Amino acid sequence: MTSAFAPSTEEVMQRLRPFGLFFEKSLKDLIKGIRAHSETPEQLGQFLSQALSECREEVNSAEFNLKTNAVLKLTYLEMYGYDMSWANFHILEVMSSNKIQQKRVGYLAASQSFYKDSDILMLATNLLKKDLKYDGLNDKVKMGIALSGLSTMVTSSLARDLCDDLISMLSSNRPYIRKKAIAALFKVFLDFPEALRDNFESFVARLEDEDSSVVSATISVICELSKKNPVPFIPLSPLFYEMLINIDNNWIIIRLLKLFTNLSQVESKLKPKLLPKILELMDLTSATSVIYESINCIVKGGMLGDTDLDTAMNCLEQITKFCNSNDPNLRYVSVVLFYKIGKINTEFISEYDDLVILLLKDVDISIRSRALELLEGAANEDNLPKTVKILLKQFIEKNTVPLSRSEKSSGTMDQFKTIEVDMPAFYKVKMAFTILKICSMNSYANLVDFEWYITVLRDLCFVSMELKDENLGRKLGEEWRNILVKVPEMRGKAMGAVLELVSSNDISTYLPSVLKECIWCIGEYSNLVDNGDDLITLLMRVKFTAADIGQILIHALLKIFSNWCNNRGSAEPIEVKRLVEQLITFLETYSLSKFVEVQERSYEYLEFLKLCDESIDVNIQELPLLITDVLPSLFNSYELNPISLGTQKRLQSNVTIDLETPFLSESDLQNLLNRSEYKLEAGENIPENLSDDSDSSIFSQHDDLHSPDLLKEEEYTRVDTKRQSDEIQRKIDRQTNPFYLDDGDDARVIRQKSNSLVDLEPEESPGVSNAIRLSKDERIPVENPQKKNKKKKRLQVLADETVPDTHPSTESDEHHDNNSATSGNTFSNKINLRNRSKLEGFDFASNKSLTPLSPDSTGEAQADLDKLRAKFANQSLEDSAQDEEVIVIKRKKPRKSKKSKKKPKDKENSANDKQDTHQNAGEV
Amino acid sequence: MTDIKYMILISRQGKVRLVRWYHTFTAKEESKMLKELAAIVLSRKARMCNILEYHDHKVVYKRYASLYFVCGINADSDNELLTLEIIHRFVEIMDTYFNNVCELDIIFNFAKAYDILNEMLMCDGSLVETSKQEIIKHITHMDAVETNDNLNRVFA
Repeated sequence: MTSAFAPSTEEVMQRLRPFGLFFEKSLKDLIKGIRAHSETPEQLGQFLSQALSECREEVNSAEFNLKTNAVLKLTYLEMYGYDMSWANFHILEVMSSNKIQQKRVGYLAASQSFYKDSDILMLATNLLKKDLKYDGLNDKVKMGIALSGLSTMVTSSLARDLCDDLISMLSSNRPYIRKKAIAALFKVFLDFPEALRDNFESFVARLEDEDSSVVSATISVICELSKKNPVPFIPLSPLFYEMLINIDNNWIIIRLLKLFTNLSQVESKLKPKLLPKILELMDLTSATSVIYESINCIVKGGMLGDTDLDTAMNCLEQITKFCNSNDPNLRYVSVVLFYKIGKINTEFISEYDDLVILLLKDVDISIRSRALELLEGAANEDNLPKTVKILLKQFIEKNTVPLSRSEKSSGTMDQFKTIEVDMPAFYKVKMAFTILKICSMNSYANLVDFEWYITVLRDLCFVSMELKDENLGRKLGEEWRNILVKVPEMRGKAMGAVLELVSSNDISTYLPSVLKECIWCIGEYSNLVDNGDDLITLLMRVKFTAADIGQILIHALLKIFSNWCNNRGSAEPIEVKRLVEQLITFLETYSLSKFVEVQERSYEYLEFLKLCDESIDVNIQELPLLITDVLPSLFNSYELNPISLGTQKRLQSNVTIDLETPFLSESDLQNLLNRSEYKLEAGENIPENLSDDSDSSIFSQHDDLHSPDLLKEEEYTRVDTKRQSDEIQRKIDRQTNPFYLDDGDDARVIRQKSNSLVDLEPEESPGVSNAIRLSKDERIPVENPQKKNKKKKRLQVLADETVPDTHPSTESDEHHDNNSATSGNTFSNKINLRNRSKLEGFDFASNKSLTPLSPDSTGEAQADLDKLRAKFANQSLEDSAQDEEVIVIKRKKPRKSKKSKKKPKDKENSANDKQDTHQNAGEV
Repeated sequence: MTDIKYMILISRQGKVRLVRWYHTFTAKEESKMLKELAAIVLSRKARMCNILEYHDHKVVYKRYASLYFVCGINADSDNELLTLEIIHRFVEIMDTYFNNVCELDIIFNFAKAYDILNEMLMCDGSLVETSKQEIIKHITHMDAVETNDNLNRVFA
């Protein structure tokens, strides 16, 4: 029975709704439902999609409470990753409700969703305008909601439309409205800089507002604006300075410091006035965040020059306190600050090496990893071994850090507990790179004991196996090569270690990238090896898959072969022949390689070796000239010296090679041809189809001058390829040329010399697979007793060879950045942190160019403004929102492409610093 | 002053409880970051520092009871310590408002939590209001207005 006076069910429901009593699924039900269904992801997914489809219906309902509720639920579901932009129109409806509760939900949903969809904002403009109007009842709350919402979705067209409303609110008699208006104006200024120019006075007047919240908000906004363009605010510096002195609110002080950081980047006159005040502030305050910001301000505001030792020490004193703190955050921050100061001048931080080493043992990997970057500045001759030892230990040992460092550890048990730190691979890679970097820095300036370094390198290779980092392997290989090339006295030692690496199965399985350079080293310095035949067999046994290793290997084998045959003078032709045959079989398999380069090289040597083989057959008693002379001349003509990076490039751009003038004039050629024809007729066996007449003619020209075994050689020319005649010809050239004759001997002398430099006993190279013996020179006594002294003695490190610098500016960068090839010490007092600083430069510049703000009304600024106007005039509606800082309301794509355009620019900056790039890759 | 890129509240189970993006990311980036950040932050041990390096920016997080408050900040120009204090301030205000706030309060009243955040942080993630009293005053005022509004409708 329904009474006429009793309200209908419909009405009851209607009235109860505002109290959160819903008969549809309320937010509470939704949340509870989600919790009940969250056992399996499928179940949850099903529940959520069901809830979503209910929302879809409810949101269409004409009943506003229902609609609002649905929008609220959608906002909640958005956190689960469900897009709600399809409901934007409904959100707008809810926003326009004049019930505060509904409006609030509407604006909340709008701020979460509208920035993804621009079209809806066109519709929202009028609503916002209306909501920003003062109309008596509840205006403050309503306007507050509207202003908060507005600031999340401003576009430049919206900014232009609403600017005047907001400016007039600056003089509202309610501080809350003023504050909110200022916050909203920030976005407007970014999108519509003219507004700032035109209303600069009334805006900055808020700095002297009687309400502290308003002042605080104004400073916030100015601080943010100054990030994009500090220039217009510089005239206000005295005012800011006053505030800094008088205000004791740390929040505001920090903001002022940030503001000054931005200002002093463009106005250097601020420094003398500000610096004492900031230092004083730093001493007085107890708030760590203020101290941190003060140091930041000094460092980033350019107030710390590379000679301001006092200031630096002042800062570093504070940082040391941070560093010894129990709070890991302070320790982290201290590393960051160390880094920044070290970047200005490494001298500043060089005294703090103990601290840095302490940080290397921190419980937190991110602190350790930052400390690694510091090592470059802090490492020196004395602490290097210690530091490297710490790092190497971290590779192998379980890392535990005692908890006892904390005083407030809750239980007594904690004091004896340790935390095990797991070492992520990226950190290990970074450690390895850092070790290499600090040891090899400035042409091994920090390194005293190379023997020790070789064992470190060796260990590093073995511990790096599990990391499977190709770049690291390559870098390690390069390091081996650098040692061998640049430190002649260490060649024997290093060879031992390299041989061990190459013969290790583990290395070739897990760290093949190190092998390329190792094999090159073995080949190049194979004169240090006694039993090259065994070495060759060993190398042929190892299976190499990568193409680049194959290429190197073929050369290396021939170099070893050449050295083995000729070094001792006692190689039996029989043995040689056996080896030649082995090599031939080996190269035949390689000649089928799918890599063109490998194929080509193996064919070249294959043919050469076949010739050698045949020539041994002819005279089994002694080695043919082809092996004793031709082969070494391929490799030993010049001593190999390190050259600095970029030299080759400079030479290429420098040297003018005459490619035009022919070697032989027409008449010369004719003469030669005539003579060769004559020879051909007179000569016995030279085939007529010889491909290159001039070659053979030179050959025959020298023919009669020469020794009987040359004549023997000559027989081969019958079946000769052109290449071989080339070689013979070259050899003959040498023998006739007095310089070359000497040279041949020279090569041997050099070899012996380098041998004699190596004073090693066989047991000093324990790791060498026992098959391979390093040769030692008997004539030089092994100076074991002197070993102790030697530790202190610096070994000679070959300096890089350079050519006179003709393009000083262009190449100097890549020059200094590569640690392995740098001899110049010009940059030695700066940490090489180039790719860090690029970020700083990048941010500011890009922002500036993207959102130029009009400075107030100076003449100079006018030009900027005109440009701006033009920019705004040209902007079509679609691409109006390209500012990175603004919540982008329009399409995403333009912004993306902008980002990607910036990236390559950064890369360019850092491309010349490979080492740092690696580190960076690790971090990222 | 600090340029917060996002503020995310993640439960210990890795569920997102509140998320506010102050910079624009694509939906794909957003979901990827939510997933990765939850994994990274949850795996941090107690004595580690609260600052992480993540892609091109830094992440400052802090755990309160069962909730992790995660903030993305600009790697270069922001004050990590201050960000921690902002998080703390946010928690303090919610604590006062909800009277001993717990995760459930935030789940069921997520709209209120957003309101507090809105009062505190400016649209682009800069701090706008630091005073606890101010914020509480405005939120409660809004609530009062709302209730009045509702009562009016019931009695109408």
